[in-house]
Amino acid sequence: MSSSRRDFFKVLSAGTVAAASAPTTALGFDLETFFQKHFRRLDEEELTAVLRRKEAAYEKQFGKKFTVKATSAFEDVVFGYGLDITRCIGCRECVHACVAENNQSQDPEIQWIRVLEFERESAIRGIDLEKGNPYYNPEQVPQKDKFYLPIACMQCEDSLCTSVCPTGATWRSDDGIVVIDYDWCIGCRYCMAACPYGARHFNWKEPSIPEDRLNTDVHLLGNAPRKKGVVEKCHWCLHRTREGRYPACLEACPVGARKFGNLLDPESEIRQIMATKRTFVLKSELGTNPKFFYFLGGAER
Amino acid sequence: MDAPDSSEPNGYQPPPHQPLIWGVLGTVALLVVAGVSVRLSENPDAARAANVLQALPADAEATLMDEPEMDDEYDPCSDCHEEEPTNYTVREMDDEHDEMEFAHGTTWCLDCHDDEDRDALHLAGGKKVDFDNTSELCGQCHGSKIPDWKAGIHGKRTGHWRGEKEYRPCISCHNPHLPAFEKRKPKPPPKPPARNGAEVAAHEPAPAEEGGSHE
Repeated sequence: MSSSRRDFFKVLSAGTVAAASAPTTALGFDLETFFQKHFRRLDEEELTAVLRRKEAAYEKQFGKKFTVKATSAFEDVVFGYGLDITRCIGCRECVHACVAENNQSQDPEIQWIRVLEFERESAIRGIDLEKGNPYYNPEQVPQKDKFYLPIACMQCEDSLCTSVCPTGATWRSDDGIVVIDYDWCIGCRYCMAACPYGARHFNWKEPSIPEDRLNTDVHLLGNAPRKKGVVEKCHWCLHRTREGRYPACLEACPVGARKFGNLLDPESEIRQIMATKRTFVLKSELGTNPKFFYFLGGAER
Repeated sequence: MDAPDSSEPNGYQPPPHQPLIWGVLGTVALLVVAGVSVRLSENPDAARAANVLQALPADAEATLMDEPEMDDEYDPCSDCHEEEPTNYTVREMDDEHDEMEFAHGTTWCLDCHDDEDRDALHLAGGKKVDFDNTSELCGQCHGSKIPDWKAGIHGKRTGHWRGEKEYRPCISCHNPHLPAFEKRKPKPPPKPPARNGAEVAAHEPAPAEEGGSHE
C-alpha cells in the first residue's frame, strides 16, 4: 500500500519536472502561459519574455511574423475623442477600417464600432439608443431624414466595466484608455453587463481572421489576436496612438468627422472643439464620464 | 501684394447676381478696416505671413498637403481660352465643359476664374490667386469654416496627433464645382444576431437590445 503510494509521488514529481522544463507539455498547454502574471505585475524582463513568446505563438498560428508591443502611455497625455454628428454620413468606412486594423473576427462577426441610424425628427426628444437601427442598408447614404451616430468604447473616466471585473483583467490606463489583459480575462462577461454602451464583445467561438486582413503590428493589450472565451473592445488604437499616430477609424473617415487628441493640451483639436463647439456625451446621467465627445460642427447637407 | 480693394477689376463685368458679390466685397472691406492688412503695404513678406487665411495652424508640425492636380485635358486653361474672347454672359455650360456638373450655389465661372489671366483665379476684390492656393478663395464666402479648419475641427487630418500631421486644402475633399459630398453606398451592415442557428429578421427599427450588442 505504502509502496504504491510512494510510486505515485515519484511519477508525479518526475512529471512536474518534465512539465517545467518543456514549454509545451503532455498536459496539452503551455505552463509559462498558464502561470503568466497579470500584465501590471510583470517586470521588464518578464514582459519581454511574454512579448517574444506571443510573437512565436502567433507566427505558429498564422504563419506570419508579428510584432507584439506593450507601448506604455505618454506621461503628459489623457486622450479624448470627438465626433461631428452634423457631418457623419453613415458610410461605415470607420467600422470596416477598425475591423481590419484590430484583427476582429469575421466569423463569428465582431465589430467594435456600431453606427446607429436615427430619424431626424426623433432628435428633438433626445437620443434614445434603443431606437437606433444598426442594420440600415439603403442604396445611398446619407438619407435626408436620418442622422447617424457611431458608437464604440467611450473610455469612461469612471468606468463601470473595470469596477466589476473579478480578476482585474480590465483597467483604465494613465492615458485614459481602458485596456484588457486577454490572458487574465476569464470570460465571465460581467463587464459586458456593466457597460451602458454595448461597447464590449465576446468571442463565443474561436475567432477567424482572413489571412489577407491580418494586422501583424499589435499591442498586447489592444489588437493582439484574441482567443475563444475572452471579451474585447475598442482601445482607441493604442498601438498607433501611443506612438503619436491617429486612430485608424479617424483616418478612414471620408468626411473628416472624427477628431482625436490630448485633453491636457489646450491647443489640441479635441480641446479646440470643447472650447468652441456644443458637445455632449451619451448617457451622461449615469456618471460614467465618457471621454468620447459628440459635437455639432455645423455642416450643411 | 495688393490690399483687397472694393473697386471693380479691369474690364470685369459683374454677373447679374451682384448682391452676393457686394456682400463678399463688403466683408473683405470690413476685414481691411479691422486691420488685417494694416501692415501689408510696409513689407510684402510679413504681409504674406500675416495673412489669416494662408497661415498654418498653431501647430508648427502641421503640413499642408498639395492641392489635387487638375485634369490634364483642361490644364492649362489658356490652351483653349487664350484664343477665345471672354464671354461674360452667365449661361449653362452646354457646349464646352458640358460633361462637368456645376452646383455651387449661385456662383458661376468668372466669380472665381480670372477673366484676363485664364490660368489664374481671383478674389472678389480682384487679387489673383494661384490654382494651387485656393483655400483663401473659398474662405471669402465660407469664412466661418476657416478658423475651424485651422484649429483642426473642420476637415480631415491624417498622420500624427503628436508629431507631423497632414491637413488638406478645401478642394482636396470638396469639388469646387460640386462641393457637396456625393452620396454613396454604405459598407455592409453587421449581421443580426443568430438564435439557434437561424438569423433573426431585422425589424424596422431593429430589435432593441438592452445595452447594445451581445455577440
